[in-house]
Parts: sequence; C-alpha cells; structure tokens
Amino acid sequence: MTPSIPKLLLICGALSSLTACGDRESDFGRPLERRSQPVELVLLEDGRPDPEVLAVDQFIRRGNGEEPETLDPHLAEGVSAAHILRDLFEGLTTESSEGEINPGAALRWNISRDARTYTFYLRRDLTWSNGEPLNAEDFVFSLRRVLSPETASSTSRTLLPILNAREVLAGELPVEDLGIALLDEFTLQITLTGPTPYFLGLLASPVAFPVNRGNLEELGDQFSRSGQLVSNGAYILQEWVPRVRIDLRKNPEYREAGQILIDRVSYIPTEDRATEIKQFRAGELDWTYEVPNNQFKWLQRYYPEELVVSPWMGSYFFGFNLTQEPFIDNPSLRMALSLAVDREIITDKVTQFGEQPSFSLVPPGIDGYVPFAPEYADWTQEEREHESRRLYEQAGYSDEWPLRVEIRYNTGDNHKKIALAVASMWKQILGVNATLVNEEFRVFLQNRKQKLITQVFRVGWISDYNDPYSFLELFLTGNGQNDYGYSNSTFDALLEEVGLERVRARRERLMFEAERVLMSDHVIIPIYTYVTKRLVNPHLRGWQSNVMDTHPTRYMFKLKARENPSGEGASQ
Amino acid sequence: MRQEGLLRHAAVRLLGLIPTLLVLITIAFFLIRMAPGGPFDGEKVLPPEIRANLDANYHLDEPLLQQYFRYLGQIITGDFGPSFQYKDWTVNELIAQGFPVSATVGGLAMLLAFVLGTLIGTVAALRQNTAVDYSVMGVAMLGISIPNFVVAPLLILGLAVYAGWLPAGGWDWSWQRMILPVITLALPAIAYIARLTRGSMIEVLHSNYIRTARAKGLPESLVIRRHAFKPAILPVISYMGPATAALITGSVVVERIYSIPGLGSYFVQGALNRDYTLVMGVVVFYGVVIVVLNFIVDLLYAWLNPRIRYSEAP
Amino acid sequence: MALLEVKNLEVSFETPDGVVQAVNGMSFTLDQGETLAIVGESGAGKSQMVLAFMGLLAENGSVRGEALFHGNDLLKMKPRGLNGIRGKQIAMIFQDPMTSLNPFLTIEKQMAEVVMHHQGLRREEAKAHAVEMLRAVRIPDPEERIKQYPHEYSGGMRQRVMIAIGLLCEPELLIADEPSTALDVTVQAQITELVSELRKQTRMSLMLITHDLAAVAEVADRIIVMYAGEAVETGGVDDIFYRPQHPYTRGLLASVPRLDRASDDELQAIPGNPPNLQELPEGCRFRDRCTEAMEQCRKRPPLWVSDDGRSSRCFLPMEGGRTLQNATEPEHDE
Repeated sequence: MTPSIPKLLLICGALSSLTACGDRESDFGRPLERRSQPVELVLLEDGRPDPEVLAVDQFIRRGNGEEPETLDPHLAEGVSAAHILRDLFEGLTTESSEGEINPGAALRWNISRDARTYTFYLRRDLTWSNGEPLNAEDFVFSLRRVLSPETASSTSRTLLPILNAREVLAGELPVEDLGIALLDEFTLQITLTGPTPYFLGLLASPVAFPVNRGNLEELGDQFSRSGQLVSNGAYILQEWVPRVRIDLRKNPEYREAGQILIDRVSYIPTEDRATEIKQFRAGELDWTYEVPNNQFKWLQRYYPEELVVSPWMGSYFFGFNLTQEPFIDNPSLRMALSLAVDREIITDKVTQFGEQPSFSLVPPGIDGYVPFAPEYADWTQEEREHESRRLYEQAGYSDEWPLRVEIRYNTGDNHKKIALAVASMWKQILGVNATLVNEEFRVFLQNRKQKLITQVFRVGWISDYNDPYSFLELFLTGNGQNDYGYSNSTFDALLEEVGLERVRARRERLMFEAERVLMSDHVIIPIYTYVTKRLVNPHLRGWQSNVMDTHPTRYMFKLKARENPSGEGASQ
Repeated sequence: MRQEGLLRHAAVRLLGLIPTLLVLITIAFFLIRMAPGGPFDGEKVLPPEIRANLDANYHLDEPLLQQYFRYLGQIITGDFGPSFQYKDWTVNELIAQGFPVSATVGGLAMLLAFVLGTLIGTVAALRQNTAVDYSVMGVAMLGISIPNFVVAPLLILGLAVYAGWLPAGGWDWSWQRMILPVITLALPAIAYIARLTRGSMIEVLHSNYIRTARAKGLPESLVIRRHAFKPAILPVISYMGPATAALITGSVVVERIYSIPGLGSYFVQGALNRDYTLVMGVVVFYGVVIVVLNFIVDLLYAWLNPRIRYSEAP
Repeated sequence: MALLEVKNLEVSFETPDGVVQAVNGMSFTLDQGETLAIVGESGAGKSQMVLAFMGLLAENGSVRGEALFHGNDLLKMKPRGLNGIRGKQIAMIFQDPMTSLNPFLTIEKQMAEVVMHHQGLRREEAKAHAVEMLRAVRIPDPEERIKQYPHEYSGGMRQRVMIAIGLLCEPELLIADEPSTALDVTVQAQITELVSELRKQTRMSLMLITHDLAAVAEVADRIIVMYAGEAVETGGVDDIFYRPQHPYTRGLLASVPRLDRASDDELQAIPGNPPNLQELPEGCRFRDRCTEAMEQCRKRPPLWVSDDGRSSRCFLPMEGGRTLQNATEPEHDE
C-alpha cells in the first residue's frame, strides 16, 4: 500500500530538520577516487579458490568500531572484541561462514535423551599456539574460571544454563560442583539445569573459549596483552597498539592452518562512522564495522558492489510502561497507538537501510522459528488507521480530550528521527500530543528500570544466541529486563514449559503461543527488525551474510586486481 | 632578588595546587557517583549474582564514603586504579598511552597557531584597514566560526580520499598522520591568536615608546621585532595557558574524526560508560596539567614583562 | 645655509568627524648652533609640526610643504634615508618620559641599539659609550643602572636617559618636546639646565617645544609663538620678552610669573579656549580671546615682517615692520 501524499509530506516536513528525507553526504556528489576491480573468481574442484586468482598479499584491514575493552575472552563483552576473539580462539563448537554451528575443538558430541547432558569428544591433535597440547582439562579449567565469583565476568550469564552455575556465581557452591565433568583426557561432560536447545550455539561464543592456564597463571590479568596471549584459534595476537590497531597473524599450530588463506588481519578501531567510510574510500580499510544511518542513498548509488546489507538478529520496538497511567489496564489504547504507526514509512523514509517492518517481537530467520503474525499485519495501513481511531475513541480519547504522552529514547540521531516520525503519525491520525524526551543512555536505562516516569520508551534488543527465547524471556514476571511491568501468568507458564521441553517442534509451538499471548496484550509496538550494514572491499571473498553477524577471517581470501591497461590501480 | 621572588612564587603556587586538587577530586568523585546508572548497567541487565561479584571486585559494594577515602589513599601513591571499561589496563597506563599522542598533536597545533597567528596578526596590524588586513582577518574569522567537525571531514575528503596525499585517519607517529589533525586543531587557535595579536599590536604601535624607537632611526622591521613584538604578544601568552591545556589534553571531536588514540575521548567515553576510575584519573590529570600550564604562563609572563616582580606580590 | 629650513608646512588629520587642520603654513629656519623655542598652548600644533617632518605622524596624518635639512627635503625621503638622519643627525626627546622608554627592554639595550645601528659599534663598545653618556647626564652608578629596566628609574631619571639616548650620536639638532612638563618643578629646572648645558658643550642646534614661555627665557636664541596651528609672532628672545607685538604673546607674558612683579595676583591667564581646529573661524584665529579685537579682525590679518627676522600676524602694526601681500601665502582653509 502507498501512504497518502499529504501524510508523507507532513512526516517528511517534520523530519527535514533532521536531514532524514534529504541526504547529507550527497552534497559531495560523485566520489572521485580511483577504485580497482577484482579478477573473476575461479574455484577449483575441491571448492577452494584457484591460487591464480588470489592476491599476493593476503592481508586485510577490518574496521572494528570501538576499542575492545579486553581480549580476555571471559571478560570481553562488546561486539568488537568478539570479532577479534573469534579469530584468536575456538570453542568446543564453532561457526561456519554462514553462522551455522559446526564442530570446533570437539570433533563430535552426544546429547542425552533428557537433553540435559552433553558429552563432547575432543579432537586429539589440538595444540595451543605455543605448541602445548590442548585437551578437555583446558575446557574444564576455562569454564570453571568463567563461573567462579572471583573472575567477576559479566558475560558469565551466557553459561547460566549449566547446572549449579547460579549457585557457584553466588558463592554458595564451589566451582567443583558445576555440571562440568572431565571423563578422560579428551572427553568432557556438561550437565544443564534444563533443556537448552541453543546450548551448542552458546559454546561457540567467546565466553566459552578456552584460555591457557600456564599463560594466565604466569601473567595474571596481563595475559591478554600484545605478544603474550596464547590462543588456540586460526590466528594469534601479534601486536596490540591500543586504539590504533590489533594485528593478528596466521596460527601455524591451528588444526586447519593449511586451509587458511588470509595471512594477516589488522583490526582498526573506528569510533566515528563517517571517518570509517572515508578510510574505506581512501583504501585504508577492506571491511567497515558499520555505515552511518543517513548515507544509504548515496552509498547505494555509488558503492552498490561494496555496500552489504543483511538481516540481523535484533528487534527495534517501543515499550509501554504497564504500571503507570495512561497505559495501565488499557490494552485498547496501546493497540490504537500500535496500529497508528506506519512501519513502512519508518523503514522507507527514516531508517532506509532495508530494515524489515515488523508486527512481532522475534525477528524472522532465527533458527527456523516463524514469528507470530497478528491479523492486522495483513491489513492495509488505512484499515489499521481506521481501527486505531475506533480503539482510541473506545479508550475515551477524542480531539477534545487528546492523549498526552511522552516518548522516551536515549540520545541518538536515528532514535530521535524514529520517535519524531511516530509522534507525528500519532498526531496526524489520532490527534495525540506526544512529547519527545531524550536522555543519556544510562539515565535512560535507569528510568526505564524504575518504571516511575516512563510511558512509551524505545527498546533495541539484539540477541546473544540464536533462539527466540532470548527475546521472550525479557517479558517474564520479575525478569531484570522487564521494564514494562508486564506480568501474565499464562505467558510465564508457557515459557516455563519451553524451558523443560526438549522436542524441538513442540518447543517452537510453545514459544509461538507465548509470543501470541504477549502480542495480544500489546506490551510493545514492534517497528522493524535490524539489519547489519557495512562496506566490503569487492576483492574480499569467502564470507557470507548471516543473522548472527559473525564473520571469522579464516574463511576469507582476497582476489587480485584486474590488470589495468594503463597500469594503474593494482595496489589492491 | 628577582630569582628568589620567582622561586618563592613557584613554591607557593605548587603548594596551592594541593587543596585545589583535593577539592577537584572530591567534587568529581561525588558528581560522577551521583550520575544515574553505573559502570555495569547496559541494555542487557546482569543477573544479581554476577552483579554482586562485579561490585565486590571493584569495591562498589562498600559505603560511598569508604570508597572515597580508599580512592584518596590510592591516589596519594599516584595510582589511579584499574579502568572499569578497559579491563586490560590501569588508568595510569591509559593516560600514559593517550597523553603523549594528544600532547604531540596539541603541542604542534599550538606551536603552529602561535607562529602563524602572531605573524598574520602582525601583518594585519601593519596593514591596518587595508585590503590585506580585511582579507586576512576575514579568513581568520572563518577559522573561528567554522567548527572542527566541519573542517575535518572536508580536509579528509579533499586531501585523503580524493587526492590520496595523506591518510584519512589512524595513528602511527608519522608526520603524514599528524598533518590533518594538527591543522584542524590549529585553525581556530590561529584565528584567535591573529585577532589578539592584531589588536594589541595596533595598540602597541601607537604607544610612545614605539615613537621613540622610530625617532632613533631604527628600521621599521627592527622596531616591530625588538620593540613591539614582546608587548604585543602578552595577551597571546595569557590566552595560550588555558588554550594549550585544552589542546594537549586532547580534543574529543578531532580525535574521533581522525581516529587518534589520544586522551580526549577518554573523558567523554569514561563519563558515558560510568568508568569511575577513568573519569577521575582524567579529571585529576587535567587539573594538574592546567595548573602547571598556567604556572608556566605566569613564569613566561614574568620573563617577558620585567614590571612583574613576584617578590612584591602579596 | 640654514641647518633646517621649513617652508609652508601643513599638517592635517583625517578623523571620523572630518579633517583637522593641525598646522598651517609654518615657515622658519634654524641655524647651526642656534636654540629655537616654539611656544604655544597645548593643541597649538607645535608637536605635530615636529613629528611631521620627523616622519612620526600617526597613520591618519598627512603633511605638505618642505622641510629642508642640509638642503634635503625630509618629507620626500625614503624610510631608509630618513632613518639615516633620525637618531643620528636629528635626535628627539619626548614630553612623557614615563611612557617614552620601552618597559620591556633594559636601558642598555635601548641605548646600545642606537649606536650599534648608526655607527656600527659592537655590543661592548656600544655599552661603554652608553655608560659614558649616562654619566654625562649625571645618572649615578651608570655601570649598574644601565642593566635596569625603565620602571626602576624615577621620572626625572628617565628623562635624563632619554636625553642621553638623544645625544648618543652627537646629533646636529636636538628636538626637545616639552622635556620637563611631566616632571615636578625642581626636576624640571634641572632638566632644562642640563639640556642647555649639554648644548653649549656640543655646539648642536636645539629646538625647544614648550607651552611655558618663562622656561625658555634663559636658553632660547629665538622664539616662535604658535597659536591654533600657525605662527603668530617670531622674534629674538629679547624682542619677544620686552617688545612683544602680538596680543597673544602679550597675553602669554602676562601669565608668566616674574620676580619683578609684586605678587602672583596680577598673573592673568588668557580667558577662553583656542578655537576648534575643525571649524576654524574666518579671519584672525585669536579674535575671540583678544582684548584688542576690532571689526577688521574678521578678515585674515596681515603678516608683518622686519629685516631682523621678526614677524607678527595681526592688524596691529609691528614696529619697524612691513606687511607682506596676503596673496603670496597659501590659503589655509581652501
């Protein structure tokens, strides 16, 4: 459906001061720099690229956002550290270039019938980068380290499904009581509190990577520094110049070292997205961390081959505070507000990066789960608006008695534009007087948590693991993340069943039902599902878009540049 | 006598630093603690068991006053403690990494600004109310009024992306990577110094002792260099104390745009992340730098201006 | 040939309020060894006239006419040529010793640079010379005091330093612009005495600029009385004191304290103020304050000259003088 023109104009008018409908970077016009083209990719019979087409120097530079807070895999929290750690280490399981879970340090595993006990059989020829053998004991040591209170790891929550993890973290039980058992030198058994179908995926995340005991005991909390870190992944840490670059080189001890094509990778911190683009354009980066929200049109026009946009495992939505007026016990008002939001205008005109308009909580594409879609998802926007007005009046509001409401968001250009668009839609369709309230991130989080002054607030949730449960559990009664004050015993009971169910299809059914209950209560206004967006050098191949946005360097390779008659542009 | 006065003045100033810093530390300590949220708050809330471990690890579970005295005790030994955010580093290490970079870029920028600013200001003063004066000072006004975050991207686009002469960002202590940030930082300072110099140079050139110098038959260039320059740059020297402090402790905007690993972004990052130790460390360090620089400016002022004698100071 | 011959010197200033005519048609000569006093109230244009031919006018000032020094026109000289004369052949002492020395440089530096520049002396020679000169102007302990800064000197001492600087190159002409006005009375006398004494020793010419007629009685050979930018009377010192022709000169003399007068009660200042230089009246400029003003004073008064070098601009006849045709003079207010 196409929105009526006056409405579009109105919203664009409201947004023009934020340059949403215009395109700031396009003022600079066509880019003038010279770009080389890669040769055609030729694959050999075994599916590997023909050495003839590869660039001589297999060296890449990846823009990596903020400086990683640490390279200790058990303490690192941020996305930028995770990118590097996936190159440095390997867990029991690992990810393919598509993000699927594959055997890593473990060659194979058995899962017990009650889905609570996992037995891992490790590869027998594994070594650390310093040549020491790596075996099951290293994993026991590492997992215990994560969960011991002295480590004070905030990412240890990822391993909470392990039996007694909570008690050990609370200091009530010793680490020996964790559900982690060493069966023999190469066999490891992990027992869980309940069925956790995404557990294999958790083991591929940095917090479950092994660390070298000798390395750690010798160097203490400095073991992860430049030139000291012992690791077991495809790359080793060569040099870390804080906030300048982190250089990795191929680990000759890695189990598949012979398969790896990229010899060196440099992770460059890029705090400023606009600068990152310029560094990419100047040929100083092969891969950007992200691109700025407001440059889509310009990039799409001039860098169609470099621009890569793909779905991500995250949802952007607005939440209602159900514990305060006006939203307490007022589902029809909440639904009215939800229906009045034209998601397509927001994704087409505001965010513009191919984000998917959304009517549900869980983004599509998560491990085969199909999210619940409410009936109105298939309506036209006119129908939604009609119903919205009806519900608004039913809730007792009118032009004479308009709803006054605050939309709260944390400081950010994109958040501001979206909140402004939503406010203008509510004004246009319902006559709601919405005020925008912008807060610094941690102030915003605290207000959300306290549930005293919030009314409508922005939420962005990007999952840690590939399972819808990660989204649904936010709405459990008493969950630390439940800033909505939502409490529905049916929903809670359904999720509890999910926790115990080990048959995949039944578990999915239960989650679908839970999502249906949640969406029928109109706790949130889904807006869109996230996408990842970056520029990638066309010479760089071997990686795949995936919803987890994991891109280990070990799958990548670099094509050589096409011969240029004038002899130029062969620098790549 | 003059030397002794200076020494005593120095000692008094340095002693005065201690209560100033104590007040600064106290205010900063409680102010950052009053800010809503803490270092471990994020979009993803931590389970209480984990939160308790983290708090205990960083002594955040103690009463605030106890934490304050713990911090004071620690800072007396010159230890700013570990960073909450950058877990591999202590705040001392972070400052030791960041400050040389910021100080180099800022120092070079200030040097450039001083040389060009006084030169431009002098030329404008000598050609007062001519086309030269108007165009030079017009450009200087532009330098003041166009913000860094506009100048920097334009410089990168022109000189790095299109021309390919200089790197677009990053840092390795090479002069190529210093040029753009130094220019960006220097531009507004050049403009400001040029205006200051022009104004005071015009005033000085009208003074009686310049007339005397001319009456002596000295060439005009010597009159400017020897007789007019020193008094004319006195206001510039006063300006340079705080300005240099601001530049060498790092500009957040410029460091972000050019991806320079300086000190500037630590303050903002630290405050946003509620990285208490980092914020405190940077604040105290700033305080010391500013006091020391003002002190140096005082000495410079006294050296340039013989009428100031600290032995007479109350 | 005269040492300095000034012809029809005109000085005007561009100001936001219009053009200010500071000096009109000044002409005079100064011979070798002669002491010439230029007397007039402040604002009469005495200083501006001197600054004009010394090339020291403010940027908004302009000058016309001629100022021949040894027959060379100072006004037409390039900066380089002028700098060869300033400080070397013509030295100047200014009226405000407190601000005329550079507070940022030592006395040594400010003195040495003159001889280093003009005579090519090396630093040590220059310093030795400067010390001698300070001794000559009776600065005690010159070896030590030369290292000091101006603020460490009293006002009178500073003026002595200024004089010493002026005399460093043994100039042919020393111009002293109110050298003692800013100083207290006893010091004033010392300075004046010092200047004339030094002059006698060196045979240089001296141009004294002052508002105080009495101060020059002892030292001057000739006196030019200036009023509102022009010379109203010129004559030898005895002529001016004993046979003043112009009512303004007489007025000035009446305001001078004299030993032969009974008491200070008879001292009379001239009532009124000098005219606004932007709106000069037609005719005689002194008319409004003149006790002998007549109807014809509304027209420009004639210039009386005599063979012995006296002159007066007034309708009252000058004894032993004859009038010059007005037409031969440049008109000031065209």
